[in-house]
Amino acid sequence: MNYSRNTLFLISILLVTFGAAFVLIWRNVIESMNYADMKTVLTTTTATFGTLLGIITAGLMFTQGRFSELASELSEKSPDYLTETLSLEKIQSTGTHLLALRKAFTQLEAGTTVAEERNLYRRIVTGTSSMFAGLAVLLNLKLKQQGLSDTGLLVSEMDSQLYKMYKKERKGIRKEWQVLAIIKQVVDVWEAPATFFVEKSKRSTLQADLKNSVSILALKEKIDKSSTNARSEVTKTLSDLSNEISKISRQLHEDRIPQLLSQMEQASAIRGKYFHLALIFIASPLFINLLIMPQLSEPAAAFFKLIIAVTSLLSVMGVIFLLLYIHKILNV
Amino acid sequence: MRCRAVKKTAEERMKALFAKYSFPPLEVIIPILEKAGRGERELEAQMYDTQLALAKGIKEILGLKDKNVKTLAKVWEVMFTFGEQKFEPIELTDSRFSVSISDCPMLHVGKDVSVNVKSKFCDLICTAGSKARNNAVLDQDIGTCSWDKSLIKGSRRCKLVIELVKTK
Repeated sequence: MNYSRNTLFLISILLVTFGAAFVLIWRNVIESMNYADMKTVLTTTTATFGTLLGIITAGLMFTQGRFSELASELSEKSPDYLTETLSLEKIQSTGTHLLALRKAFTQLEAGTTVAEERNLYRRIVTGTSSMFAGLAVLLNLKLKQQGLSDTGLLVSEMDSQLYKMYKKERKGIRKEWQVLAIIKQVVDVWEAPATFFVEKSKRSTLQADLKNSVSILALKEKIDKSSTNARSEVTKTLSDLSNEISKISRQLHEDRIPQLLSQMEQASAIRGKYFHLALIFIASPLFINLLIMPQLSEPAAAFFKLIIAVTSLLSVMGVIFLLLYIHKILNV
Repeated sequence: MRCRAVKKTAEERMKALFAKYSFPPLEVIIPILEKAGRGERELEAQMYDTQLALAKGIKEILGLKDKNVKTLAKVWEVMFTFGEQKFEPIELTDSRFSVSISDCPMLHVGKDVSVNVKSKFCDLICTAGSKARNNAVLDQDIGTCSWDKSLIKGSRRCKLVIELVKTK
């Protein structure tokens, strides 16, 4: 928080300084610039852009290297999860529990008129659907890994909405390491990620929502004896699911999967930013060298004075921003 | 190093305790009870059972044995901390302690619920909580708990006072 405020402050000062410098240059230098000066400015600008491109490419390669390293580390671990941690029985039993919950809470949602209660049940239905779709994807990948044909065990239980969700998630899996991302996603829907401190995550989890629903059903049971069966079933399913998911979660944490995935996410974001910067720094010199320089005659130079001044100023600002950006990356 | 390991274990046990005995979702329950027009006693009983189990668990984890106001204050503070309630201690003597709190579960109950209803449930929940903690720590309900309900009336802080009643 403090760091980002400092960076913003620094950037503001730089922008104001450059704004002032630009006005001064415009008033004192540009007017007296001749054709030869313009050419020198453009050549220097192109060279600066080229240097920056070199630095950016090095950064891009470094980040890509780190990304590949993490991807291969995760890819090495993912087959064990499909073969050992997620047995067919476990997937089937978890899937059955989730479906039962989904069905029960869809009915409960339809039967209530209190908005807060309905929202809670709807969240549970959404959570169970998301976990179920994730499990179906994992089952499909598991069967594929073992060379077996997909029996459609979980898919056959899906309605059209759930099937759409499943299809979308399945399509998104292209690399081996993404199996672990799906497993983490399933676990994260169930429980909040572990924190170092006592504070709880603000995001509601399926486990917490189910516990809350048990409290509500227990209370309703005492008021009008209406939800006796629902409460006992939900309580049992909650306990069974907690046992099943906690084992997977423990394994993920022992293997540091959440940390590795988070590092990959960061590397991927930085890689994307480097890529876009590289595009800008490739396009700009090309634009100058291929379009402006060949056309640059003395009258044209007079006409493009302002554009040339802005471009050269941009290259200087590019250097400063790049340094700031590198500083930020090093501080992550 | 050993001390850190022990501390971590206590914290983990505390987290597990609070995960096991979570508070009922008042923001959902109160509108349901308001609509049903009954169920207050049942909610009070549920709150009492949860808070009693929590207070006993805290005492056990922290090894608190003394039956006095300091222990009672410690249990309240742990409950505030793990219940994510911001608080500031004001006073602690042999017979009384008070804290200033800036959040309460009733604040998260929907705007559709009137202040009167919130006030009624506030009494019910605080009484049940206080009774449970007194019974867990002092073995008898000899402490009084009073609070101004300024938080639910729009103020930013609320003062909570726990006082021991002298018994013959």
